Amino acid sequence: MAERVFITGMGMITAIGDTVAANLGSLRQQQSGLGFTCYIDTIYKEVLPVAEVKHSTAELSTMAGVPNTPEYTRTTLLGLLAMQEALQQAGISDLQQEPTGFINASTVGGMCDTEKVYFDITDPEKEGDFLKYIDTLDCADCTQRIADTVGFTEYITTVSTACSSSANALMYGARLIKQGLLRRVICGGTEALTRFTLNGFNSLKNVDKRPCRPFDQQRNGLNLGEGAAYLVLESESLVRENNSVILAELSGYCNSNEAFHPTSPSPEGDGAFAAMKNALAMSGRNTADVQYVNVHGTATLNNDVSEGKALERLFGAQVPPFSSTKPFTGHTLAAAGAIEAIYAVLAIQHQVIFPNLNYSEKMEELSIAPETRLLEQVPVNTVISNSFGFGGNNASLVISKYEG
Amino acid sequence: MKGKCYIQGLAAITPQHTFEGNLFSQPLVSTGANVFAVTEPDYKTFIPANSLRRISRLLKMGLTTALKCMQDSGLSVPDAIVTGTGKGSLQDTERFLKDIRQYEERALNPTPFIQSTYNAVNGMIAVQQQVTTYNNTFVHRGFSFESALLDSMLLLEEGASHTLTGAFDEISAEHFYIKSRIGHWKKEMVNSAALYDHLTPGTISGEGAVFFTLTAAPTTQSYARVAGLKMLYKPSLTALTTGLATFLSQHGLSAKDIDLVITGRNGDNNFEHYYRQLDLGLPQVSQLPFKHLCGEYETAGAFALWLGAHMLKAQQVPQQWFPMVSQFPATLNRILIYNHFFGDQHTFILLERTAAPAV
Repeated sequence: MAERVFITGMGMITAIGDTVAANLGSLRQQQSGLGFTCYIDTIYKEVLPVAEVKHSTAELSTMAGVPNTPEYTRTTLLGLLAMQEALQQAGISDLQQEPTGFINASTVGGMCDTEKVYFDITDPEKEGDFLKYIDTLDCADCTQRIADTVGFTEYITTVSTACSSSANALMYGARLIKQGLLRRVICGGTEALTRFTLNGFNSLKNVDKRPCRPFDQQRNGLNLGEGAAYLVLESESLVRENNSVILAELSGYCNSNEAFHPTSPSPEGDGAFAAMKNALAMSGRNTADVQYVNVHGTATLNNDVSEGKALERLFGAQVPPFSSTKPFTGHTLAAAGAIEAIYAVLAIQHQVIFPNLNYSEKMEELSIAPETRLLEQVPVNTVISNSFGFGGNNASLVISKYEG
Repeated sequence: MKGKCYIQGLAAITPQHTFEGNLFSQPLVSTGANVFAVTEPDYKTFIPANSLRRISRLLKMGLTTALKCMQDSGLSVPDAIVTGTGKGSLQDTERFLKDIRQYEERALNPTPFIQSTYNAVNGMIAVQQQVTTYNNTFVHRGFSFESALLDSMLLLEEGASHTLTGAFDEISAEHFYIKSRIGHWKKEMVNSAALYDHLTPGTISGEGAVFFTLTAAPTTQSYARVAGLKMLYKPSLTALTTGLATFLSQHGLSAKDIDLVITGRNGDNNFEHYYRQLDLGLPQVSQLPFKHLCGEYETAGAFALWLGAHMLKAQQVPQQWFPMVSQFPATLNRILIYNHFFGDQHTFILLERTAAPAV
């Protein structure tokens, strides 16, 4: 019998807060993190809203205790701050006491900083400090710098499946535990805003000039965000041995593929349906047990139709309250799956359902509408968290209240 | 990880003539430029002309290798597509960066952005073969392919019947220059065939795409069994020695049970000490280096696995590729692959003949 996998620590930083507690506070106060960028050099600076973490890269490096380290990119620093909180919350002061894996996720690595010096790097006439950024061109750089700073020495790796990356990192970590390769794995992702990504999504005509409106008839695209989040996963036997505090159980998960189109989901949400259905089946719960779905809900024209159809197919007439928290955090790409997994744990811990901001008009393709109110003191024991990405990569997680 | 994992099919696009024909009669391809480029096949056989025009080089390499691998396996649609890549489509990343600058962020073509996504090859294979199940991509330098292999071994253990598991990386002139600025490549030009005679700082660059069909049960077609896999992150020399000993003992083996070691030696004297440490742990075991065949890149480990699998199935070594080696083992039951990427990610893979006698 495979071991159960428990969540015993969490850390995060997003546009709505530097810690898990600060994120919860902003969610409850319905305080969005969207605004205009202070740190990206782009012609869209005052045109396209983004959810930026409210600290300069230099400030982040001081906060993380690694000042004056230009080779620590914004991606690395966001990740390092979230990792430090996760370790502290889980009560881990020495990673050497238990072999611990680290599964990170990233979509463009250190692009946030390399894009500023890329043409210096390729220019033989130029020399200087920017050469330190060469190693940060790939996705492994942030993972290794975080690992080396906090002391991971066991298996580390990095997943990149676009917007579902950190959900897949969590799944992979859980599977390493279930098969007994490790008893503790810390999983999540980190993503910094970049001109590269902003222009990428904008070239796809997927970015809204207004704050995004998930599941609204008038929605017109996503807003990008940045942040990082990590969850400490432990096997049941390790939890028993250490008397770890269990925050929730990662009871089910599924990775499925649409096999439909490089950047668009299928209109009937086949991949989303399969991911949610199989994740729920694995968790041993049924649709009636689900009290909240934290949807992917990017507010692109295609995602919300597809995901909404999948919800209607899976839950029939009894679709539980669902909301997208993207109007708070923006779409944080590789970090989104882990950020929203933490929101799912918070929903269970505090018996709360977070509102879907900026909604006013029901979509004509759907008969369902998102939850727009902050619901407090409601029973939340089982949450589905969705992350869907380019390449048809769909991932659903089921997070459950620990009941022994 | 111990594996009930068998290689049922494989395909490779590499600097050598590996895509078609009998590898045991292919001549050794060498370069004097310190950078290898793959020998590209005729993609039209695998990808329709209208698609070929739209997709970039790495996507062609990756998709074609995957399709050829599926053909070779004789199996139907896999239960999972799992890949590793250190750099993804460099050409698309470079192009989108340049487009942003040249067109000042206006009216950009989204294609290079989409194709620069690390999981773009996986998405294309899934669409073309209608694989709606598990799909994952690892992007961690010298652990990229080996993580995909570990994920695949977990999937087979969980009940998947077969996985399509692969790796792909390309090098561009621009990226070759970038990495030269941090000392990755030799300053002096060397002939790749004489790589190991030039123990100086840096190595030679390479690229390739390699795919495997992995199954949970052997067949008469199986090439070999992936019996074990271990990754070590920045080990000390002591930890490397202990890691090797533990890896062998977990499989009930000692050095004498290994018929051949395929090593990632690459003529770089900055990191040669790791290979020397390995030599100490495996005295008197025959060795074959492989970086003179494909150059150094993040997912070169997949080339080594491809080579080892062929040798185990055919029970012979493509001796023409190894002019620097004088003696070859007569029987091949167990091959150990040891590779590392610039000293940070170290990997052991244990490969067994499908019908290897027990130790």
